[in-house]
Formats: sequence, C-alpha cells, structure tokens
Amino acid sequence: MATDSSSVANQRVVDTLAARLRRRQVVGSRETALETVLVLRQVISKARFSNIDQLVEIIRSVGRKLVEAQPKEHTVGNTVRKVLHHIREEYHTASKGTAVVSTSKDTLSIAKFVLQGQPRKQNVPQKTTLNESHDMLKENDADDPDAFARTLKPVLMEAIQDVLDELETVHDNISKNAKDHIHSDEIILTIGKSSTVEAFLKAAAPYRKYTVIVADTAPSYGGHDMAQSLSSAGISTVLVPDSSIYALMSRINKVMIGAHAILANGGMFAITGSLLVATAARAHSTPVVVCAGQFKLTPQWNLYHEYGALDFADPSSVLGFEEGNLVDKVDVVNPFYDYVRPELIDAFITNDGDHPPSSVYRLIKEAYDDEDYEL
Amino acid sequence: MSATATITMSALPSKSTIKLAPAQSHAEASSSQAQNQPPKSQKQMTKAERREQQERQRAAKAATKAAGPQPSGSNQNSAQVKKGAPPAASTSASVKKGGKGPDGKPTKDTKETTSDDSARGLRIFSHFGLPKPPGPSKGDIHPAIIRLGLQFSEFKIVGANARCIATLTAFKTVIQDYVTPPNNTLSRHLLTHLSPQITHLVSARPMSVTMGNAIRELKLEISGSDIDLPEQDAKNLLCQKIDDYISERITIADQVIQETAGTKIKDGDVILTYARSSVVEQVLVGAWDDGKQFSVVVVDSRPMLEGKKLLSVLCAMGIPCTYLLLPSIGSVITEVSTVLVGAHSLHSNGAVFSRAGTALVAMMAKQHSVPVVVCCETYKFAETIQLDSFTKNELAPAGDIFSSFPLTRSKDTLTLNKQLNLEILNPLYDLTPPSSITAVVTEVGVIPPSSISSIPLALGRTTL
Repeated sequence: MATDSSSVANQRVVDTLAARLRRRQVVGSRETALETVLVLRQVISKARFSNIDQLVEIIRSVGRKLVEAQPKEHTVGNTVRKVLHHIREEYHTASKGTAVVSTSKDTLSIAKFVLQGQPRKQNVPQKTTLNESHDMLKENDADDPDAFARTLKPVLMEAIQDVLDELETVHDNISKNAKDHIHSDEIILTIGKSSTVEAFLKAAAPYRKYTVIVADTAPSYGGHDMAQSLSSAGISTVLVPDSSIYALMSRINKVMIGAHAILANGGMFAITGSLLVATAARAHSTPVVVCAGQFKLTPQWNLYHEYGALDFADPSSVLGFEEGNLVDKVDVVNPFYDYVRPELIDAFITNDGDHPPSSVYRLIKEAYDDEDYEL
Repeated sequence: MSATATITMSALPSKSTIKLAPAQSHAEASSSQAQNQPPKSQKQMTKAERREQQERQRAAKAATKAAGPQPSGSNQNSAQVKKGAPPAASTSASVKKGGKGPDGKPTKDTKETTSDDSARGLRIFSHFGLPKPPGPSKGDIHPAIIRLGLQFSEFKIVGANARCIATLTAFKTVIQDYVTPPNNTLSRHLLTHLSPQITHLVSARPMSVTMGNAIRELKLEISGSDIDLPEQDAKNLLCQKIDDYISERITIADQVIQETAGTKIKDGDVILTYARSSVVEQVLVGAWDDGKQFSVVVVDSRPMLEGKKLLSVLCAMGIPCTYLLLPSIGSVITEVSTVLVGAHSLHSNGAVFSRAGTALVAMMAKQHSVPVVVCCETYKFAETIQLDSFTKNELAPAGDIFSSFPLTRSKDTLTLNKQLNLEILNPLYDLTPPSSITAVVTEVGVIPPSSISSIPLALGRTTL
C-alpha cells in the first residue's frame, strides 16, 4: 500500500468529496457521478501499487468511504463499480491480450449461463504499445515496484476518460431517438425536474408538435422549473397541481419520468409522486417510460419496500413555521423518493438503448463485476 | 336598497373590461404590427384605417361577450397571443373581405384559426368552468346575494355543504324582503324574481350540485305555495321550509352519518383523510369525543391546501395527527387502516365527484386493500352519469390566491403566471370511479357504490 505523501493528498481529495456528500452540497445522480469519477481519476493517477489487487483495494476503500458518506446517492457506488470493471477489463486485456468473459468466481449461476457467448459491450482498447509489451507487465517486481503501475496507468486513464465521456454525453445519447418515441399531437405527462427528460423532450420539439403537462410535484416544486424551461423552448406546456393527475390521465397518451436510481429487479427510486403517476397510468393503461442514463443502474434491491430507503427532506416545506401552533403537535413526513415497482414501468430509455424492466438484471451483469456488488 | 345596489354595481363593469383588456391589447398590437408588414392594396389609408379600427372594436366587443358565456375565451385569447401573426393576418383578411360583416363574423374567423393553431392540449380543457370576474349585474340583485357572490368568487366560503347553507340563508333574506307587485301572485312572481339572483351567483362561481338540488326544492315549494295565504304568512312558511330542508337534509343527516361512520372507527386505527370535508371532520371529532383512541393522517394538496384547517381543528382536540402532501401518500398508505373522504356529489353510476386528488387517494388505498369510505348526505345525489373528470369541472384562478406555496421557496422561482406557450390550470374536482370505493355512508345507511342509483328510492320518492 502506498504510504507516502501522495496518499495523504489522495486522502484529502476523498475526504473533501465525502464531506460534501454528507452535507448534501453535492446532490443529483449525474453531479455526484461526475465528482466521483474525477476523484477516482486523481486517486489512481497518484496511487502506487505493484499488482492489480492492490489497485482494486485502493479504489474499493475509496468507494466504501464515499458510499458511507451518503448511501442514498447510489450513483457514487455505481461509478466506483464501473471504474473497477473497466480496470479489470484493461488489466485482462493487457496481460492476456484478449477480452475475457468471466468472473473470478467458479460458482455456477444462471446469470453466467445466460451471459456465455455474449460478447462484452465495452470496446477492446487498441493500445499498440501494450500489445507489443504485454509480456512486460511485471507484477510484484521486487527491484522496480512501480513498473506495473507505470505501464498500466496510461491505459487506466483512458478507461476513466471513457467513463467520464459517457457521463458527459448521456443526455445527447438518450435524446437521439426522441422523435421516434414522441408522435404528433401527443399529450405527455411528466413530473418534477429531470434534466434527462427535459433534454429528451426538447430534442423532439423541432420535429413534432405536442403538448406536455407538467405536475408541479410538491413540496420540491421542481415542476415549475421544468415548465419554464420547456415553454421557453417552444413546447406547448400546461402546469397543473399534483391533485389533478388522475383527473387528466384519461387524456394523456404517455407518461415520461426520470429516475434517481434503477434497481436490480427493474424497479426504481424516483422523485416523490412518481408512484402516484405510475399507478394512475396503470389504472388507465397508459404507457410509462423512464428516461435514465446507464450510470443509474444499481445492483441493489428494495424487495420489502423499506420505508427507510426513501430519503427524507426538510419538513418545513410541507408545514412551515408559519403554522406555529401546529408545528410541535403534528408529525410531518416529507420523503424525497418513491420506490416504483417494475410492474408499473413499461420501458427504460437509456443512453445504451431501450430496455424493458425485465432485462435490467442483464444490463447490470454486463456493466459491473460480481465481486463488486458489495464494496 | 336597490338604488344603492345599482350604484355599487356600476363600479364593477369597468373592472371587468380592464381585466380583459390586456389579452385584447396583445391581439390588437400584434394585428397592427402585422398590418405594417405584408403589403396591402388598400385604396385609401384613412378609410382602411377607420374600417380596421371599427373591426377591432367590434372584435373586442364580441370577444368580451364571448368570454362571458364561453369560458374558452381566455384560453383562446392566450392562444391568440401565442400565434400572434396568423390570427392577426386573418383579422386583417376579414377586414379586407368586407368591413360590414355581422358582429360575430370577425371573431368567429379568428376563433376558427386559433382553434386550429392552438395546441390540442389546450383545446381539451376549453370547456372547463374558468374563473370569471364578477360581471355587471342585470336587474336588481339583493345585497345579500351580491355579498355571497363575492364570497364565492374569492373562495371565502368553500365546500358543498357550506355553500348550500349560505345560499339558502341568503335566499331567506331575499324572500323576507320580497314584496309581491300588484296583480301578481307570490308563487309565480317570486320565481322570476329569484332567477337573476341565481344567475348572479352562478356567474361568481359555477353552481355546486348541492346548491342546484336545494334551489330546485325551493322552486318546487314556491310554485306549490297556497295563493290564498296572506303574503307574510306565505313568506314565513317558505322560510320555515328552508330551515326544515337545512335541518333535515344537512344537519341531522350529518349527525346520523357521524354515528354510523363512528362505528367504523375502532381503537388503534389510523384514519387517513384528504383535504377538508365538513362531514369527515364531524365524524372524527365525534368519535374522539366518544373516547375512541385513534390517530389521523391528513393528506393535503394544492391548489387549496384545505387540510391545514382540518389539521388545526383536530390538533386542538388533541388527536395525534400526521400531515403530508399528496405525492408522499405512497409511503404511508401501508400503515393506514381506513380512508375517510367526503364528496361534492354522487352520481348514478356510483362515481364520486370530489375535491381534486381524492381519486388518487382512493386508487392508492384500493391498491393496498385499505377500505375507502365516502361520507355523503343524500341531497348530494345527482342523477347524471359522469364518466371521467373531464365531463364537468371547475378551474381555480391561477396564481397564489390560497397562499399554498411554502415559504421555503421564494415566489419568484415559482411559475405563477401564464406565459407564451405556458398555461396554468388548477382543476378543483375529480371523479373517483366506483371501482375504487368500498362503501358510501349516507343517512339512509351504508351502501355500496353500485346501489347509489337507488338512493331516491330509499328516500321514498321517484325524483330527488
């Protein structure tokens, strides 16, 4: 393990991000993912390791610290897992010269059976330097402990740059097929402010003429920002309170919402109100479409609908101190997220294509390595 | 009395025209802009200018008239603002066609083009009862009715029961002050005297089903009153009948419902209620007074945030309460034992027309197998069938008239006004389908939604 000043610098960088996460100075799936990638890049560039396990352990400990700081921001853990996955890919490519389709565990599993024969989606890097010198990948070299790190680091930096690029272009990739999903004269319902859905709707606007109904999503009232943004882009928008969602659902053609995190069973955490919208849509057989980047795929479950899995926000936006005499007599509940079961969702539109909730488990298997599910 | 009434009313017409003027001036400005740009083969500018001004004024007057009876007026006016050029071009086109067209023609042309241009999304809301400014009254309106109209339009009196009782009380004053003109009978002339009063109330806010039923009963009583009775006696009899109606169909009915629904509440229950129903409030207070130990979850929502009033009443009694907003209901519904809601009206197909959001609460409760009990008096029964919330609905005025936004969010970040491409709608009611309701508690018993159409039969008459 590295023991010199570089590790202290790494500590500082990691601790800063952990503190910001804990204080919720960094919120939102994409922002936290970007910050995490930048921190990991810094850690890896300064890290000293002589074999792959040391590197993995360094990254894992960083990931553990960050996830503990804010367990409700799932994209932090997802990004760490993704980076680990890329690192192992690069390492296998460098040391064996071919992409390996396997995990290190020997246990039989249906997932492994399913994945057999399916090529990994990630690109095999065309690193000519490494192909020439793959037999020079010295591990645990006693004379030159940094040799391993030196040869691997440039490749790792490339891999991390890939992750960063994917995060930065996620909105563009999701909106690529927007005009195929939205038809003329449609009425689409959305809630809250999801930057992904916003980009999607704006991408279709020049090609199609349609109306968007935005519910104002108490108590965060993100719907107001969304309505402002959409109407200034020239889309005909109607802003309604949440109470009229069922009333209007009979005229709505499709529902489009964003997600905070997509869970392993195909369910998702999304902003409060999404469960109401999805249930009302199911009652009227209206399709529910979720726009989310692949960085939101989380290898976790909420099978028992745990109440504590929802994050809780400030109660004064529900019942403020202006109701002075009520404030200490009443319990006020303000959950920030809803858990939406996979049966209520019809499709996930991600930057890597459209998928039904039933195949989310396969996406997770391809994106992350099994041994990283528990950081 | 009536002279002062007319004087105060004259202040209002100017207000109503001012309110409509901004929408009109937009259309006028855009039409004058369009006039400058496309080349026109007009012979004399002065004659054409005069003609154009005439058309504009006629269009404005027709639009004012149209905005009254047709609530789509302001929707389409804003649509007009949105697509400034095409309708303005059509106005100028109709000017060219013939300045002497009938009054309605220019507005009709613009309305056709705007309804084609305006988005489908806005057209579907065009029949909702839009909030109207209190217009000038026609005929003598009794001051009690004027006051009531103002209270309605400013949402100072809300709730089906409250509005009905207020209306009937005001009508009692009107009847007592009424003097039958010579050569007329009370039973015939009083009806014509009441019509403009009723129209005034409707113009302030669309009539509720309860008000409609009550007024229908009142008219029946009036037309059935004995011609030989001296006037004061007839008036006293009518006021007595009104008091009886309020007492029987509302007050005593509420007490019966309170006892019946109270038996559904057991110790340790968690009762969920939505917004504020006067009947549910009575039920909860009554059950607590009987010594039952339960807790209440109050769910509330914009635009009206009425739940806070219910919350203060319940807290004052010491009932343990939880308060949350409608979107959060998914997290607590698993802990709830019963859902109690009120209604605005019941329909023959078993659907319940109630405050917007009730349908969502009932749907979530049904999903989690929580019984949904609607507490409703029989006089709220309406013989019509409503299939969804679009059949009949009312819109609250846009903006923050109920102070329903939290102070933690500054007002300028919120979208409170209509803008280009942005429409703000606040439907006040929605329809809960019979499949989401478990039972309706009325004063004639606890009935399943499928039997609602037999309520008139249960009351012993063929019509309500």
